Amino acid sequence: MMKIKMRDKLRKWREENFRNSEQIVDVGEELINEHASKLGDDIWIIYEQVMIAALDCSRDDLAWSCLQELKRQFPDSHRVKRLAGMRLEALERYEDANKLYDSILQDDPTNTAARKRKISILRAQGKSSEAIRELNEYLEQFVGDQEAWHELSELYINEHDYAKAAFCLEELMMTNPHNHLYCEQYGEVKYTQGGLENLELARKYFAQALKLNNRNMRALFGLYMSASHVAASPKVSAKVKKDNVKYAAWAASQISRAYQVRRVREENVKCSAHGITKAVYTVAMVHNVNIIHL
Amino acid sequence: MAHLLLDSSIRLWVVLPIVFITFFVGILRHYVTQLIHNDKKVDLQQVSDSQVLLRSRILRENGKYLPKQSFAMRKHYFNNPETGFFKKVKRKVIPKNPMTDPSTLTDMMKGNLTNVLPMILIGGWINWAFSGFVTTKVPFPLTLRFKPMLQRGIELISLDASWVSSASWYFLNVFGLRSMYTLILGQDNAADQSRIMQDQMTGAAMAMPPDPNKAFKSEWEALEIVEHKWALENVEEELMCQDLNFRGLFS
Repeated sequence: MMKIKMRDKLRKWREENFRNSEQIVDVGEELINEHASKLGDDIWIIYEQVMIAALDCSRDDLAWSCLQELKRQFPDSHRVKRLAGMRLEALERYEDANKLYDSILQDDPTNTAARKRKISILRAQGKSSEAIRELNEYLEQFVGDQEAWHELSELYINEHDYAKAAFCLEELMMTNPHNHLYCEQYGEVKYTQGGLENLELARKYFAQALKLNNRNMRALFGLYMSASHVAASPKVSAKVKKDNVKYAAWAASQISRAYQVRRVREENVKCSAHGITKAVYTVAMVHNVNIIHL
Repeated sequence: MAHLLLDSSIRLWVVLPIVFITFFVGILRHYVTQLIHNDKKVDLQQVSDSQVLLRSRILRENGKYLPKQSFAMRKHYFNNPETGFFKKVKRKVIPKNPMTDPSTLTDMMKGNLTNVLPMILIGGWINWAFSGFVTTKVPFPLTLRFKPMLQRGIELISLDASWVSSASWYFLNVFGLRSMYTLILGQDNAADQSRIMQDQMTGAAMAMPPDPNKAFKSEWEALEIVEHKWALENVEEELMCQDLNFRGLFS
């Protein structure tokens, strides 16, 4: 049943927060146009999902029609107002969008979505220092918002303020201790900051990222680089230098192992492709087919 | 008196109707509660405070994954004697008197209306309509103390206390159909009476304890005694014990 498969695909993308907007628009548009009546109450959340994806692909017609349907069904909803504001943002009518968000906030001061959209407007307009300031104020009140911490760390990295970016990443690591990507990003920021202590910290966090996920190649390279830098630094004691040389050597051996695994796999793939072509040729020869056209 | 043979029409006309009545009244209650329910207005400061407390708790639990200095910085932010958050911030607490505060009063009234009133009404009706005979037998033996409670309307001294009347079957259903409601109405449904009774017993079931100052003080104490034991002390040695597992890396 095509309809059920499409609906399940959309639900999976929605729940795992994928941003494959073109696919969502393709699947969602077909679902809405053909099967709107049979979806029941699911259709509203699908409208929201498709509308955001349509804004990403600058399909303003589709976004407008989705918004109309939602406005008709939920006339006073803050959630729908936020979607209307996002559409205004996509059309670069930032003043109108700001006014809309302010009206939402007047009604409900705890609405986090409207505040975050205002900050993204500032970022879209390129006013990063103001965006940083607003985001800091937002985070003072809503300390638990992880999306916001991540956004702030990105803003600080763009401004080359690595100390503050490290602070934001520490918050994220604290709340998600088993996420190897945060450990790896923190290691990278520490490595960029430089200095012996930071390099040692970077090395530790790259190792932690590898421990959490053995296949994180970036962390493996990071481990190698930070260990070699520490070993090459003139200020370290002999024991520390020896340890770091050992770490770097181990990392290098793991990297070459990874490349070997890749080479073996590629050869296998090539072998099987080669085998198929050979089999086709043999069959063609047996049946006297003109193989020039193959 | 061990064995009684009950008329099978009791099963058909008493046991099953009581089950259906309880079930449908429960579903009706759920929808009525949803209709007259109004959203609780959340206070910005309450939300903010609850998130701060959550952050402090996470710091206690997962602080060992942070570098020593970062942990110390955050602990200092919370617990510093002069400028620490838990020391400095005192929230003005207005004790909400449930009798005079209008919003809690209406909430209480609505709760009573939708939950207690139907239970009393239907319990009384069942007691009146289905009285004078034994309905069912509970599978475990009961003491004589339970007789007046469970055998309303049956005045037999020699009858085993395990034989109960229809009123007790009704109450058994009210609590027993809870899992059925979860199956049909989803979690957190308003037909779940026992949970509501629990809420009433434990006091105000709000997102924040009514006294944030007390919560801050207890969090301060908990944070004071936590020490930083870095989980990453020997991470490289632990990592290098064995080769990395690259399965699935290039698939």
